Amino acid sequence: MGNKPDLTLDIEIEDLVREYPRAAGFLTKKGVRCIRCGEPIWGTLGELLEADRIKDQSGLLDELNQFLAGKEET
Amino acid sequence: MKTLLKKLNIEEVNIGACAGPDAWFKDPQSDELISYNPTTGDPIAKILQATDKTYDQVIQQAEESFNTWRMLPAPKRGQVVRDLGNALREKKEPLGELVTLEMGKIKIEGLGEVQEMIDICDFAVGLSRQLYGLSMHSERPAHRMYEQWHPLGIVAVISAFNFPVAVWSWNAAIAAVCGDITVWKPSSDTPLTAVAVQHIANTVMGDHGLKGIFSLTIGRGSVVGERIINDTRIPLVSFTGSTAMGKRVAQAVSKRFGRTILELGGNNGIIVTENADMDMAVRAILFGAVGTAGQRCTSTRRIIMHRSIAAKLEDRLIRAYKQVSIGDPMKEGILMGPLVNKAAVEDMMAAMEKVKEQGGKILFGGHRLPDLGDNYVEPTIVKMPAQTEIVHNETFAPILYLLEYEDLDEAVNLHNEVPQGLSSAIFTRNLLEAEQFLSTAGSDCGIANVNIGTSGAEIGGAFGGEKETGGGRESGSDAWKAYMRRQTNTINWSKELPLAQGIKFGD
Repeated sequence: MGNKPDLTLDIEIEDLVREYPRAAGFLTKKGVRCIRCGEPIWGTLGELLEADRIKDQSGLLDELNQFLAGKEET
Repeated sequence: MKTLLKKLNIEEVNIGACAGPDAWFKDPQSDELISYNPTTGDPIAKILQATDKTYDQVIQQAEESFNTWRMLPAPKRGQVVRDLGNALREKKEPLGELVTLEMGKIKIEGLGEVQEMIDICDFAVGLSRQLYGLSMHSERPAHRMYEQWHPLGIVAVISAFNFPVAVWSWNAAIAAVCGDITVWKPSSDTPLTAVAVQHIANTVMGDHGLKGIFSLTIGRGSVVGERIINDTRIPLVSFTGSTAMGKRVAQAVSKRFGRTILELGGNNGIIVTENADMDMAVRAILFGAVGTAGQRCTSTRRIIMHRSIAAKLEDRLIRAYKQVSIGDPMKEGILMGPLVNKAAVEDMMAAMEKVKEQGGKILFGGHRLPDLGDNYVEPTIVKMPAQTEIVHNETFAPILYLLEYEDLDEAVNLHNEVPQGLSSAIFTRNLLEAEQFLSTAGSDCGIANVNIGTSGAEIGGAFGGEKETGGGRESGSDAWKAYMRRQTNTINWSKELPLAQGIKFGD
């Protein structure tokens, strides 16, 4: 396992998918689509999770950080 | 690569805010954006993104330029667009190559995209003398009524990575002859092609002593995009992108009584009947599904095939897919390049997992191709037992879903069941089937074709779709009307003042 990134809900989706492209696949599997028609959604991760009615946002964020720290492919 | 970039005036670091020749706006606060080559992952060049300050400078110039541009007779505006078309002709080869370099579509498609730009300029030149309005008879004596169309103002174009230059031109060429000013926010994945186009436009503007007619603001959606959609100085926003973002754009713009042209997601299906020319259908499906690596809004995503020919069609498609050459899109003979970036690959792989969860059977492909590069995937064919949730979602990748049907009514219902309504097609040699598909009881899409595929539209027709595709129309036909404001005029050339509907008031 690598170092766990310290992403927050304030990260812009555009930055998230650029710096951590694996996040796109992880989130898609959780029902949160951060890229649509190939383009990142505008706004922060927190705003996207709110729009997608994710109740446990901090839980999902923690999972995402852990996932990105791992090496496995989606 | 350096030679190519030089031909298009692309430097190592480029300014991302421009309102014409000698009007590149710099700001020390600019964030840097790096554009990457999706084929190799290598950086191509950098852009200094627009800031609030430089964005405002562009818009201010645009407002000033509008006051002059709108007063120029439309045919004169057409001459400027004619020169733009000619400038694009001269730069077709390098600009087409840059599209391939920055976006990943094969070179012939990159050249095709620039040809679209040239074609729409030609169309717009003719249009400049045909901005027709109706005349109508008044009920009152010695009165005359007619309608005329006036320029609107600033048209903001927010475009996506997959057609990094053509979508701009559909909007800009038409908007220009209509008397509007265009301000462009391109995709952050393909900013250099926009810089190249801006240089070309600058040359044309310079030749005519103009500025601000075609402008550029490169920046992230959450910054420049949000400024545009909330900016009351921009009466029309033409947005190409996802349905999710389209909703946000539409809400923000309509809240301020602005207008939108929305070109959003597609989920394009082809019905292949038992009366289809199989050779033609297979070729069309191959281009539609594999072209641009499945990254067109009009890419073929669903095949709804008659049960009697399903096995044969599956077999033909698998054999065709096996022959698809995948590799460097600059090289001749390659049919499929990479996806635009790693995130797109990850999204596709996540979709493949959902496909399996929902009972899909992968008949071909489904994997990454790491030996070719990080962004390469196999074009994929999936047989679905039903049109499940994953089929309803557009995954911007070369995944083709196969579904079966028994009678044509069932096929049409399956076809229309998805939330999107962009492009559609039927392959049949039976006139009745074709006409049913094109009738009001047939396809609910903005584009419905017979015996051609879902993608590769010509510029002469209005392009766009229904339902969650947004309802917007661009390019040909009378799509130009969206770029103008209609004004109804009544002229009284008598010495009396009769009121309409025979009203007598204080006589």
